[in-house]
Amino acid sequence: MRYSRQIILQEIGEIGQQKLQDARVLVIGAGGLGCPVLQNLAAAGVGTIGIVDGDVVEETNLHRQLLYTLKDCGKRKAEIAKKAILELNPEISVTAFSEFFTVQNATQIVGEYQIIVDCTDAIAVRYLINDVSVTKRIPMVYASIHKFEGQVSVFNYKNGPSYRCLFPEQEGLNAVPNCVESGVLGVLPNTIGTLQATEVLKIILEIGEVLSGKLLIYDALHFQTQIIDFAKNPKAIEKGFINGSLLLNRKKSVEDLTPKAFLEKCNQLGIVVIDVRELDETPEFKGENVIRIPLSELEEYSKKLDKNQEIVLFCQTGQRSLAAMNYLQKSGFVGVFHLGRGIESLKNQI
Amino acid sequence: MTITLKYFGLLADITQLKEEQFTFDEETVLVSALKSKIESSYPKMQNTAYNIAVNQVIVDLQTKIKDQDLIAFLPPFAGG
Repeated sequence: MRYSRQIILQEIGEIGQQKLQDARVLVIGAGGLGCPVLQNLAAAGVGTIGIVDGDVVEETNLHRQLLYTLKDCGKRKAEIAKKAILELNPEISVTAFSEFFTVQNATQIVGEYQIIVDCTDAIAVRYLINDVSVTKRIPMVYASIHKFEGQVSVFNYKNGPSYRCLFPEQEGLNAVPNCVESGVLGVLPNTIGTLQATEVLKIILEIGEVLSGKLLIYDALHFQTQIIDFAKNPKAIEKGFINGSLLLNRKKSVEDLTPKAFLEKCNQLGIVVIDVRELDETPEFKGENVIRIPLSELEEYSKKLDKNQEIVLFCQTGQRSLAAMNYLQKSGFVGVFHLGRGIESLKNQI
Repeated sequence: MTITLKYFGLLADITQLKEEQFTFDEETVLVSALKSKIESSYPKMQNTAYNIAVNQVIVDLQTKIKDQDLIAFLPPFAGG
């Protein structure tokens, strides 16, 4: 009954609905893109959905993240999103992962999911998702937004091009702004997320033409869409595959510090503790060996450090410090740690 | 030759333009030459990652550009 209007579509039918019921989709990021993706997948009857997000709902999310209401502010997005889509459709199974997607938990979270939907807001995480997706040979449905524009594509679909083929990883830390920094028209992620959900359904149902090897660009201000073709780059795919394989084989790491372990390290001699937030961000965390080097200046600063120097990084939520840690590790630093969930996780400790 | 350049995302912020026409004396130029020319006009683009598409296809620096081509400058977006 619930699905009758889509089952009558010749392209779907009872068989298609069963495919949706059997599908396992992991949605990484439950923000502007994640909300419409989750709503649409749940409504369509995708049987198993995973939600990954370490953030909490904030009032500034509400102009675009329509799964949340004012009373959800301060609560964990993954949990609230799970509750909301289960209310919409109690026939599906939903798992909430209230943590950010990192090199440490990637393998365990991706588990048996068959499609990953990239709804994140950080480039570093997109490379991580791509590498896991290439290695596990499951498609990655990508979208991203900037102010009034959106991009959509499907990577690693039936051996098609990957995210790295389109955007090779740049050396250095040229930060690309996210919505917090550059602003976004509230309706835009809802348009783009809905397109993303459409690609997920087509992949599951094996109908139509999937946006593989093509980048859709949408400009809301001028109502222009373009489809740009791009080719496979075997070297870029290999790089993702190597990174992903290392990840899938790695042992559980202790690079993500708990608040307790972090505070212990802060008191040890000979350790450099770097606050990678912008200089005006609060709360300030003081300590004898704590210095403030914003992420954008870390590359320059790190040239002065010994590669064997033990370094502890932190930021507000753990995302920038993770990017900083990945960067330093890539540059050859061997003793780098970061405060897994950022200074916000210290609230109850100091 | 005259070509149309379109800027997306952060690049439109840098150039303060969505689109512009560009005229070369030559009948054809390489993408690499166009890239250097644009980056000298907008030096901030030197520090930004982006792709170049010619007539809706992402190309490498050795590709030739001809009269009336539509060139798109495409950076990765981060927002979600």
